[in-house]
Amino acid sequence: MTTTDLLSVQGLAAGYGGALAVRGLDFAVAPGTIAVLVGANGAGKTTTVQVIAGAIRPSGGTIRFDGETVTGLDCPAMVDRGITLVPEGRLIFARMTVEENLLMGALNRRAAANLARNLDRVFALFPRLAQRRGQLGGSMSGGEQQMLAIARGLMAEPRLMILDEPSLGLAPKVVAETFGLIRQLNAEGITILLVEQNVRQSLQLADRAFVIEKGRVVLSGAGPTLLDDPFVKTAFLGL
Amino acid sequence: MARRITILLLAVLLIAALTTLPFFLKAFHIRVGLSIFLSAGFAVCWWLLAGFTAYYSFGHTAFVGIGAFAAALALRAVPEAAPALQLAWSLGAGLVVAGGIAAIIAWPILRLRGHYFTIAMLAVALVLGEAVAAFPVFGGSTGLALPNLAPMGVRVEAFFYWIALALLAIVMAVAWVISRSRLGYGLAAIREDEDAAQMLGVPTTRFKVVAFVLSGGLIGLIGAVYALNLGYITSDSVFRGSLSLEMIVNSLVGGMGSILGPVIGAAVMTGVTKLVLADLLEYHLAITGVLIVAVVLVAPDGLVGLWRRRRAQSAGR
Amino acid sequence: MTALVQTLVNGLLYGGILSIAAVGFSLIFGVMSVINLTHGIFVIGGAYGALVAWSVLGIDPLLSIPPLMLVAFALGWACQRLVIQPAVERGNPVAALLVTFGFALIAVNLLTVTFSSSVRSISPSYSFINLRLGDISIDLVRLVAFGCGLALIAILGSFLRFSRWGRVIRATALSELGARLCGVDARAVYAMTFAVASAFAAASGVLIGMMLPFTPADEVTWTVYAFIVVTLGGVGSLGGAMLGGLLLGLVSTLTQTYLGAVYTNMVMFLILLFTLLVRPNGILGSAFKASR
Ligand SMILES: Nc1ncnc2c1ncn2[C@@H]1O[C@H](COP(=O)(O)OP(=O)(O)OP(=O)(O)O)[C@@H](O)[C@H]1O
Ligand SMILES: [Mg+2]
Repeated sequence: MTTTDLLSVQGLAAGYGGALAVRGLDFAVAPGTIAVLVGANGAGKTTTVQVIAGAIRPSGGTIRFDGETVTGLDCPAMVDRGITLVPEGRLIFARMTVEENLLMGALNRRAAANLARNLDRVFALFPRLAQRRGQLGGSMSGGEQQMLAIARGLMAEPRLMILDEPSLGLAPKVVAETFGLIRQLNAEGITILLVEQNVRQSLQLADRAFVIEKGRVVLSGAGPTLLDDPFVKTAFLGL
Repeated sequence: MARRITILLLAVLLIAALTTLPFFLKAFHIRVGLSIFLSAGFAVCWWLLAGFTAYYSFGHTAFVGIGAFAAALALRAVPEAAPALQLAWSLGAGLVVAGGIAAIIAWPILRLRGHYFTIAMLAVALVLGEAVAAFPVFGGSTGLALPNLAPMGVRVEAFFYWIALALLAIVMAVAWVISRSRLGYGLAAIREDEDAAQMLGVPTTRFKVVAFVLSGGLIGLIGAVYALNLGYITSDSVFRGSLSLEMIVNSLVGGMGSILGPVIGAAVMTGVTKLVLADLLEYHLAITGVLIVAVVLVAPDGLVGLWRRRRAQSAGR
Repeated sequence: MTALVQTLVNGLLYGGILSIAAVGFSLIFGVMSVINLTHGIFVIGGAYGALVAWSVLGIDPLLSIPPLMLVAFALGWACQRLVIQPAVERGNPVAALLVTFGFALIAVNLLTVTFSSSVRSISPSYSFINLRLGDISIDLVRLVAFGCGLALIAILGSFLRFSRWGRVIRATALSELGARLCGVDARAVYAMTFAVASAFAAASGVLIGMMLPFTPADEVTWTVYAFIVVTLGGVGSLGGAMLGGLLLGLVSTLTQTYLGAVYTNMVMFLILLFTLLVRPNGILGSAFKASR
């Protein structure tokens, strides 16, 4: 763990009510890279990223972002600092228009100041959203909704964008598009933390990957290297 | 096993002590005891549905009213019978009519969940209250009078004190038996997750209907006593939103987690209202309100929950 | 024929008042899923506020609406922050309901102590003017109150539709977590919702005070009416509140004219019950939650 990391998580613990879903979790993301978290259902991936986004208060450990300790800050504070989570299940606002959904992404001061520019950028990236800016979010297809969720996240001008299972429920072709998009966003300078069940494709993308089991990181390494790891092969790739 | 016997013994002793109490108390205090038993009885019956299944009715006063008017009308049919018979007859009418009407409305009403059930029960109570006020059979706005059924030589308040105590013991026993039965476990499963319970083979509809009918019928039974004690009922006095609310408030103040909750809640709330606040009549409502807010915020699991938490803490230390 | 038209006109005018008196309740129910039993307090509180402004300071009730809305806004904010939010965070669905009930008891007691329980009314100079349109007669006050009610609903509608706060409130109602992840402070949103709802409840109370006599105990009635209006029309939407209010107004005056006043409430409650059984989300459905 070096001081140059954009995000570093140490000894993170969090849970719901009594039981801890995450216990003593460590990992770090270097600026400009793509990091991937993989793990079985219920391993604690969503909990981890929701803590980082400020939606769940951690019960232990530290989170540092860009050299500052941000442990336990709430969502608005995290968004202000440049951390945006595109959540599992998308959570777009179904009875609001595409445009209103996008405006919701631009609440922090920085993003609000650059609103027009960011809208243009997002519409250039997702022409379909531009066509449908007046349509209700909930009436769009699953793939379009996922695009909208990502676009909404981009409106906040994130430095670290966390995506929780963006490929869930999408057709293979759309999944490939989504991964391409993530690569493109990364190339534009946004650091990516990706949670995925689609282990093969996401590991190919990953500069660094972390395997989570029962709330802990049990294995880490460069993405493509992990693809050859015997544990990963048996646990996730069915080989 | 030893613990069970101890509890049973304590219960018998307590009932015996409470039974002898009227011989030592002033009329006013006997009436306070009577009020406590009646509201505890109502609360336990409400809890029979809400505590087991998390179906929070906002209109259980409907069954008080049904029981009360059933008793009053039933007594008109037998004006000459012996008082003991009249008593049994009117209590029976309260139980059967309230239970019957509960059975009729159970199926449509219990299809609703959450807030919708809550509001629908409120509507049932309001409709019945207005109907009773509107139709002359029920005495309209003048209401109905009930005869005094207390035997000669027995003080009225003591007489109803004993009846209310007996009924409270009965409904508590019913609740206790249910909590140990297959029905009780099924209802608890409904409370945790109704859809899951159904998939696990719990006959959710039948169980809910049974709980609802028991709850309504027993309230009707106590409602009959409530009416006899009042001696004179109108739609406003027995179909009264505050009666529904008292059942809820008492159960929550005491704690929804066990059958003792509603009883303790009723004892505390009624006791506080009648004894402590008697001199502060002008601010009675406000103080009740402060108490409710305080309990919800400070002791969300009620007084019983608070006590249990305390004990767990001191045991852990 | 004239009698029927007269009844319908009266029903619509009354319905407009029922609508505006229910929008606050609807907003809170839709956004926070809290059944707010303090609603009637803010309505009746608005009526008493206007009474004080009129009888002590000589201010016309209509002019007292904006300052009273501000006061109610502040009180609503404080009430939500201090007692209701902590109860909501308990996670028990009834906890919030009970807290609002307790709060209503406190408030109605204070109102009774301050103003006594006797019946009050506000009658500014124009309150006895009657407009005639052929054979139909219309109270000027009712017409004015109706117009103000519609204007208030339009203002609230624009606030929700076009303002930044309105958008944030709608988003939070649709998905609290989604909104928080956008950087929304959900607690502030709930406080804002409650404050806005309280302000509009108080404004409707002023209008009601101009039309009808009132006592502190009437707060229950207005909470229950709001309940019925919202159940009938649908939760969370102003269109629903309008539809529910107008329907209820029509039904209640029609019943009163053709069946008798004793049946009015019974018919209203029967309609509530019937709607719940066949269409629990109201005629228009919930604005925020998927229908079941
Ligand atoms: N809201 C909640 N309340 C209680 N427990 C929860 C809640 N959300 C998650 N959990 C529990 O926490 C643990 C970790 O869940 P989490 O959602 O973080 O897993 P995950 O790795 O994201 O799984 P998946 O791949 O299925 O999305 C699980 O055991 C889960 O049951
Ligand atoms: Mg997950």
